[in-house]
Amino acid sequence: MKRVTSIYSLAVVGIALGMVSCSAEGDYPGTEYAPQMYHSVPYEPLSQIPNEEEGMWLSNREDGKGEFYNSNPNNQHKMNMRMPVPNTVPRDPRGVLPYRLRVADLEGAALVENPIEVDDQVLAEGRELYVQYCSSCHGTGGEGDGKVGEVIGGVANLKGGAYINLPEGHIFHVITHGKGRMGAHGSQITADRRWKIVHYVKQEIQTQ
Amino acid sequence: MSIKRSLLGVSFRVFHLMVLIFLFIGLQAYAVDPEVPDSEDAISAGQSIFNANCKTCHRLDQKLIGPALRGVTERRELDWTKRFILNSQAVIQSGDATAVALYKEYNNAVMPAHDFLSDGDLMNLLAYIEYGDKADPEAAASAAAGGAAVGGGSGGGIPSEYLTIILVVLVIVLILVLVVLGLIVSVLTKYMNNSDKLDADDKEFINQKTDYLSILKSDGFIVIVTTIVLAFVVKTAVDGLYTIGVQQGYAPSQPIAYSHELHAGQYEIPCQYCHTGVEIGKSANIPSANICMNCHMHIQNVGGKEGISPEIAKIYAAVDNDQPIEWVRVHNLPDLAYFNHSQHVAVGGVECQTCHGPIEEMEVVYQHSSLTMGWCIDCHRNTEITTQGNEYYDKLVQLHSESKDALKVKDIGGLECAKCHY
Repeated sequence: MKRVTSIYSLAVVGIALGMVSCSAEGDYPGTEYAPQMYHSVPYEPLSQIPNEEEGMWLSNREDGKGEFYNSNPNNQHKMNMRMPVPNTVPRDPRGVLPYRLRVADLEGAALVENPIEVDDQVLAEGRELYVQYCSSCHGTGGEGDGKVGEVIGGVANLKGGAYINLPEGHIFHVITHGKGRMGAHGSQITADRRWKIVHYVKQEIQTQ
Repeated sequence: MSIKRSLLGVSFRVFHLMVLIFLFIGLQAYAVDPEVPDSEDAISAGQSIFNANCKTCHRLDQKLIGPALRGVTERRELDWTKRFILNSQAVIQSGDATAVALYKEYNNAVMPAHDFLSDGDLMNLLAYIEYGDKADPEAAASAAAGGAAVGGGSGGGIPSEYLTIILVVLVIVLILVLVVLGLIVSVLTKYMNNSDKLDADDKEFINQKTDYLSILKSDGFIVIVTTIVLAFVVKTAVDGLYTIGVQQGYAPSQPIAYSHELHAGQYEIPCQYCHTGVEIGKSANIPSANICMNCHMHIQNVGGKEGISPEIAKIYAAVDNDQPIEWVRVHNLPDLAYFNHSQHVAVGGVECQTCHGPIEEMEVVYQHSSLTMGWCIDCHRNTEITTQGNEYYDKLVQLHSESKDALKVKDIGGLECAKCHY
C-alpha cells in the first residue's frame, strides 16, 4: 500500500509541476534562463523599461539600478529613441534634399516634376505601395470605396472629374501633407515611394 | 344625435388628413424647379455623374460629410445651385450669405470645384438628385443591419467544432455499446443459470466474480501504473523545462485596448500602413500617434456610436500632451540574435502571418511562434528562395544548378552561426 501512496503523491507532484509551468501567458512573459541575456544592455529603442527597480534581484550594476532598467533619463519622457537635432536635414541616398513646399502651396506643388522614371518595375512597386497605404480608403480601384473610407466618408474618387487631371506634383503634395479629410502621410512613406505611388495613380488608376 | 356628430367629426378629420397628405405629396412633387428634367435618361446619366463625383460626401436623403441633397432646387435658386457645384469656393469667397453659412455649418469642409461639368451634365445631375433612387429608408437600414450581422457572423473554427461533435458522438455510441453488452451478458447468465444441463464447473464459470481489489494489488498492475505515471511526470517536466526562455503565448495587456481583429481583420487595413518599417528596416515599428490620427481624426467611436470612445480618447490625450503611448513589446528577441524584418519581408517575401500567426483574428496580440533557434533553423532548412527578378541571386542559382534540390535558405548560408550571432 505504501508503494501505491508514493505513486499517487508522485502523480500529484507531477501535475502540480505541469500547472505551475514556466510558460508565458497573459502578462507573464514566462521564466527566463539566464535573464541577463534577454535584456538589452545598450539602449533598446522599442522596449524600454523605465522602472529602476526592475531586475534588482540579480543586478550587479555599478549605478545600483536594476539589471533590466533600460531608459535614457536625458531624453524627453525618458525615451530611448529621440528626434534628430532641430534643423538637421536628412538626405536620401541620391543626395536629394527633403520636400520643402509649405502645406498651403498647392500651386507651387503642381509644378514639381516626378524625379523617378516610369517603367514596369516602378509601376509594380507603385501598385504594391498603393495597396498598402492608399487602398483602405481610396479602394483598390481608386474609386473612394475602401472599407475604411466608407467609415471616414468624404474620400476622393481618384477617377472623378475633380481629380482626374491633377498634376503629379499636386498628388505628391497631398500624400505628403494631406488635404481636406486626408491626413499627412509624409512620415509613413518615403519620398521615393510617394513618387512611385503617384506614377501608379497617374498611369494605371486614372487611365482606366 | 351624438352618433351623427361623431360621424361628422370623423369625416371632418379624414378630410383634413387627406388635404394634408395631398399637400405633402404636392410639395414633394411640385416644389422641384420645373426646369429640372425628369426623364429616365437624364436621371441615369445624372446617377453616373453623382457616383463618380459626389457619392463619397453626399447622400440623397441623408446628411454625411455634406448635406442631404434631395430638394436642393426647392431650397435654393437653380442658378445658385449650379454655381455652387461648379466652384463652391468662388461662391463662398464672393461673400454670398447662404454659401458662407453652409460652409460654416459643415466645419469648413472644402468641396472641390467641378468646373468640368457642362450645363447639360448639371441638369442631369440635378434630375438624379431630385428624382433618383426614391428608396424606402427603413428597408435600406434593415438591409444594412442584416449585412452587418452576416459579416460579423463569419469566422473560422468550423473544423475544430466538427471534431468535437464527432468525438462526443463517438463517446456516446461507445457507452451505448458497453451498456448493451452488459445487458446481453446479464441476460445470458440468467438464461444459463435457468437451464439444468450444466455441471458444477460450468456453473462456477458462469457465476464467477471479478476480484477487482486483488487486481489493484497485483504487482503487474502496480508496475504498469508506475510506468505510466512516471512517463507522464517526465513528459510534463521536460515540456515545462522547454518553455523556459520561450515566450510563446505571451499576451501582455496594452495601454490602449487596440484590436487587430477590428483594424486588420474587419477593415482589412494592410499591416504596412501602420508598421512602416517592416519593408525598409530591422524593426517593423510601432506606429506613432500621428498615424492613428490619419483615421481617428474622423473616427471617434467604434461601431458608429455617438461620443468619443475612452480608448480613442487616449490617442487624443497623447497627441495633445505630446506624450508617447507606452505600448508593451510582445516579441522580444535577445540581443545575442540578430533579426531583420526587411530581409524577410521585402527580399524573402514572407507573409506577416507566417511568423506572427492569425494577427487579423487577434483581439489581443499574443506571440504565436516560439521564436526559438530551432524554429528559425527549421524554416531556413525548408524555405526555397524566390530568385526571380533578383540579380543578386543569379550567380548563386548558376552555381547551384547542378544540384537536384531546389535552392533553399540553408544553401546560401542560412545555417551559418555568424549569420545571426555576431
